[in-house]
Amino acid sequence: MKKLLLFFTVLVMGIFLFTACGGTSDSGETTANPDNDDQTFVIGVDDQFPPLGYRDESGEIVGFDIDLAKIAAEKLGMDLRVQQIDWAAKELELEQGNIDAIWNGLTITPEREEVMLFTDPYLENEQVVVVPKDSEIKTVSDLALKKVGLQSGSSAEDALTGNPISDQVQEIVTYDDNVAALQDLSIGRTDAVVVDLVVANWYIKENNSDYVVLEEALAPEKYGVAVAKDNTELQEKLNAVLDEIKSDGSGEEASIQWFGSNILYSES
Amino acid sequence: MDNFSSQIGLYLQGTLVTLSIFAITLIISLPLGFIVTLMLNSKNKLISSFADAVVYVIRGTPLLLQLLFVYFGFPLIPVIGKYLTFSRFVSACIAFAINYACYFGEIFRGGLLSIDKGQWEASKVLGLTRFETLTKVIIPQMIRVCLPSISNETITLVKDTALVSIIGVAEILHYSEAAVNREGTPLPFLVAAAVYLIINFFVTVVFKRLEKNYEQ
Repeated sequence: MKKLLLFFTVLVMGIFLFTACGGTSDSGETTANPDNDDQTFVIGVDDQFPPLGYRDESGEIVGFDIDLAKIAAEKLGMDLRVQQIDWAAKELELEQGNIDAIWNGLTITPEREEVMLFTDPYLENEQVVVVPKDSEIKTVSDLALKKVGLQSGSSAEDALTGNPISDQVQEIVTYDDNVAALQDLSIGRTDAVVVDLVVANWYIKENNSDYVVLEEALAPEKYGVAVAKDNTELQEKLNAVLDEIKSDGSGEEASIQWFGSNILYSES
Repeated sequence: MDNFSSQIGLYLQGTLVTLSIFAITLIISLPLGFIVTLMLNSKNKLISSFADAVVYVIRGTPLLLQLLFVYFGFPLIPVIGKYLTFSRFVSACIAFAINYACYFGEIFRGGLLSIDKGQWEASKVLGLTRFETLTKVIIPQMIRVCLPSISNETITLVKDTALVSIIGVAEILHYSEAAVNREGTPLPFLVAAAVYLIINFFVTVVFKRLEKNYEQ
């Protein structure tokens, strides 16, 4: 029994040691979650999604969504913390309250609306086809018998499979992230990539790539901020804040800075 | 990559996280591993079968799954769940320490098995107490036998730290991935590879030296 006792003593000591150097200083709030408290607005992002949320050269997470979230947190009177999460675990993170919201170019889809609560849309986007400049693919129907790359689990996948052309393509190649898909296109392993328009524009500009975006888009879609299924309070607050951001010019300013034009979504 | 120097800070930050998880895991799991061995060898059936069960579960499931379980699963345990809610970094360290303690425990057990029972009897004849026999005779020999396996496991630990990004802890590989996504070139992966190789170079050197020290 002594050894068993020793085992647990060491375990408990180890845990205390960890907590001491864990660096998450809870300011006396009676909260069960060390990664979140009432004073902090924690947003979860997949930090590999330029230009909406990605790490800059100093390791800081930046982007259009981050700028909007900063303005929103200020209006909410809370401190913003941007937490990098694994995209596949986003629903769990939200449900357990490790993060307050997912704010990261999250497309509003009926499947997602079943497990989380969305705010009003704040950005318009399309799923588009990207091809090399000299490609013979000029329209969506030219994708027949071609290899098409896209991010797995993305709304690009839904957009392609929802289009009749998906039965005619030779193969759909899936990648962990959009940039990997775009890189493989330059190597020539695929003939085209389906991706968010905002990502395509950013990638082409940033890398001076010889890619073009087909004028014919696959599917129009909207981005929203997601909160936990039962958190109607935060949803309402965020909706009010988003309305302000759209009307007081702060959102427009951020949009022009990141995209060169105002692409904020408005109901009218 | 042309502006590599401006990004050194970023890679250092990631390397620091990788190194901290590595060091904390090693510091906790080596002694804990020895306790696991003692429990496995315990004459008390209850203790030894408990240790057997723990080792079976930990070795029988992926470390990735254990990471997810500690971070997402612990808080859901009824009654004690609220005391088992840890931050991301702490959860990562707990999962790693427990996992590696079990592997080290089995390695130490193997080391103990390799020592002839006659040595216990000889020590008894020489008038050594059980404790003295263990610390002065058995353990030094055991360490010598175990060192190559421990070295192997330690090198694996360095690389396993890459798993922690699943629960949102950014380490060197994650920062490289971020750079790959930002710059649109796979070259930053080479930085991560270099960092792992450098860390493992030192690990290898340290263990080679230790092995030399324990040679007779």
